[in-house]
Amino acid sequence: MAAQTRRDFFKTSALLGTAISGISNKQIKAQSKNILSENRMGVLVDTTACIGCRKCEWACKTAHNLPTLPVEEYDDRTVFKKMRRPDDKALTVVNEYQNSTKFPINVKVQCMHCDQPACVSACIVGAFTKKENSSVIWDTNKCIGCRYCMVACPFQIPAFEYEEALKPDIKKCDFCFDLTKKGKIPACVEICPVEAITYGRREDLIKAAREKIKNYPTRYVNHIYGEYEVGGTSWMYISSKDFLQLAFPKLGRDPAPGVSEAIQHGIFAYFVPPIALYALLGGVMWLNKNRKKTESETEI
Amino acid sequence: MRSKIFFLLIIMPFFCFAQKIKENHSTQILKCSTCHSCDVPTKENPCIKPCPREKIISIDQLPEEGPNVLTIDKFKKQTDVYEPVIFSHRLHAEMSGMGGGCKMCHHYNPPGRVIGCSDCHELTRKREDVSKPDLKGAYHRQCIDCHRLWSGKVECLNCHQLKNSKTKTDISTIVKKNGKRIHPQIITPAIVKFDTPKAAGKLVTFYHLEHTDLFSIDCSKCHKNESCSKCHAKDLVTLKAGKTLEQKHLICSNCHNTKQACSYCHLNTVKPGFNHKERTGFDIDKYHGKLKCVRCHTTKEKFTGLRGDCSSCHGIWTHENFRHKITGIALDENHSSLECTDCHQEKNYANPTCSNCHEDKSFPKFFPGNFIKKR
Repeated sequence: MAAQTRRDFFKTSALLGTAISGISNKQIKAQSKNILSENRMGVLVDTTACIGCRKCEWACKTAHNLPTLPVEEYDDRTVFKKMRRPDDKALTVVNEYQNSTKFPINVKVQCMHCDQPACVSACIVGAFTKKENSSVIWDTNKCIGCRYCMVACPFQIPAFEYEEALKPDIKKCDFCFDLTKKGKIPACVEICPVEAITYGRREDLIKAAREKIKNYPTRYVNHIYGEYEVGGTSWMYISSKDFLQLAFPKLGRDPAPGVSEAIQHGIFAYFVPPIALYALLGGVMWLNKNRKKTESETEI
Repeated sequence: MRSKIFFLLIIMPFFCFAQKIKENHSTQILKCSTCHSCDVPTKENPCIKPCPREKIISIDQLPEEGPNVLTIDKFKKQTDVYEPVIFSHRLHAEMSGMGGGCKMCHHYNPPGRVIGCSDCHELTRKREDVSKPDLKGAYHRQCIDCHRLWSGKVECLNCHQLKNSKTKTDISTIVKKNGKRIHPQIITPAIVKFDTPKAAGKLVTFYHLEHTDLFSIDCSKCHKNESCSKCHAKDLVTLKAGKTLEQKHLICSNCHNTKQACSYCHLNTVKPGFNHKERTGFDIDKYHGKLKCVRCHTTKEKFTGLRGDCSSCHGIWTHENFRHKITGIALDENHSSLECTDCHQEKNYANPTCSNCHEDKSFPKFFPGNFIKKR
């Protein structure tokens, strides 16, 4: 008697499971897609205008209360001798690439604030969020320090305070969310003397960038880096040189979370694999039960 | 009396309007389509084409006409680290003579008056129109490109002084320094003779004035992106020696074929100036001597050959569109209604033939009208 109810339970639960997963699966899919505002903001970096003064580095550190040298020290151009990456002590850095014509090329590096951020998708506790104005920000109270975001990011931006023993934080550019939510502009954009970094509606920036490329075909390569890369980023670049030569990663047009999410969602699609497993196990049990029954019948 | 006042009142606006139009660029010789993308631009929708427009329009002033010294402090803030720049405008205007004049900085300046940077570039960085840099960005970009080219430096302290610094230069000292012309006026030379190392044909004679005045070639066509170092580099000789053959010929090779026909420019003697009759067989000295080349050779910068006959420039003449008086002979009644070809059978309208109608008359013994003073 007890065995029979157990079997019934499996049968009903399997049926129920299929029904529920069939309904809920659609909801999951809808959630995973970002709802992007048409008025989301962005930044266009014109690397042909950047002079490598590194004032943005200073402004960024000042705005985020990070220890910094006095502003005059940033005139020192010897730092360009080696390539630098943003880390927990500097959320943005400027690198220099030698160029055959006229001037060297300076490229500012920071979080790209993807439209479909991989870090948001990878974070298992939801510490990362994509805000309506484009900022991808991180909440220290939710973070458990798993550092999945660091692995997921196609630009390798999130940095971890390894030196902080007790309460290490993830550090990355937050698009100065504290300033932008008050209607101000990011600190680096504010200070740039040549306005090599322009803050505005992402759509307007793309339009302006296209116009620039059209008007000065010898000055720019016909590519807006970030317009389509990994599904589009808020920070976009235009340059006189191929982006691969400026240490930009070669990325496809598919959003970065697409790969990981496809695997995860694929496994649980319509709940088929788990049900199949349960069905298989149930089947094995059913067969064994029957065999046992016939065995016991023959004994009698 | 009342009617007179009434009349004046009606007339007045026309005068005012007429005066206003005079200052307006719409009365100048400009195609609307140079700047506007639609047929009827309005104040609300001027449909201005994005820069650079197909044909950059601009005006030039003498350095003395502009301001002497400017303090660029439009975007001054309490939090600034540096003092605003005191910009020696006149000195820069003097120096710009070689590189392209006022329009080097005052780009896309519509005719009328020279407009400042802040007329187009917005003061605030957070703005709707992101197609052009804001005022701070525009100023810096304008200065840095040239300064970087000749000094190689981009550090702020090259132009700015630190706030609270003790060794401040006062604006009055700069004004004083700029009181008189600092940079000598750049005069277009008539002829430049180059001594070249070429064995056969050492001498290249360059008729500079001919190129600029007669051929109407813009200074900036050859003198482009020229910085101070063009003349003021420490070691000009080594700078020139370091150039490749191609670089040396670059300025000429824009128009002339410098790879072949060396002897066209390289001679052992001074080359004579341009002579239209010798070069083309068409004598221009008689009637066309005062004209600039572009008056007839309208294809820009490339003076392609024209047919020798008048119609290739003047179109087809008839007795209606040609005022014969201009030749010095006012036709009488009998002749003024004739077609041109009745008397002028040659294509160059040189000598008339009278024999078609008159058996006993010939030119220049008889005139078909009155001989008047030639205009």
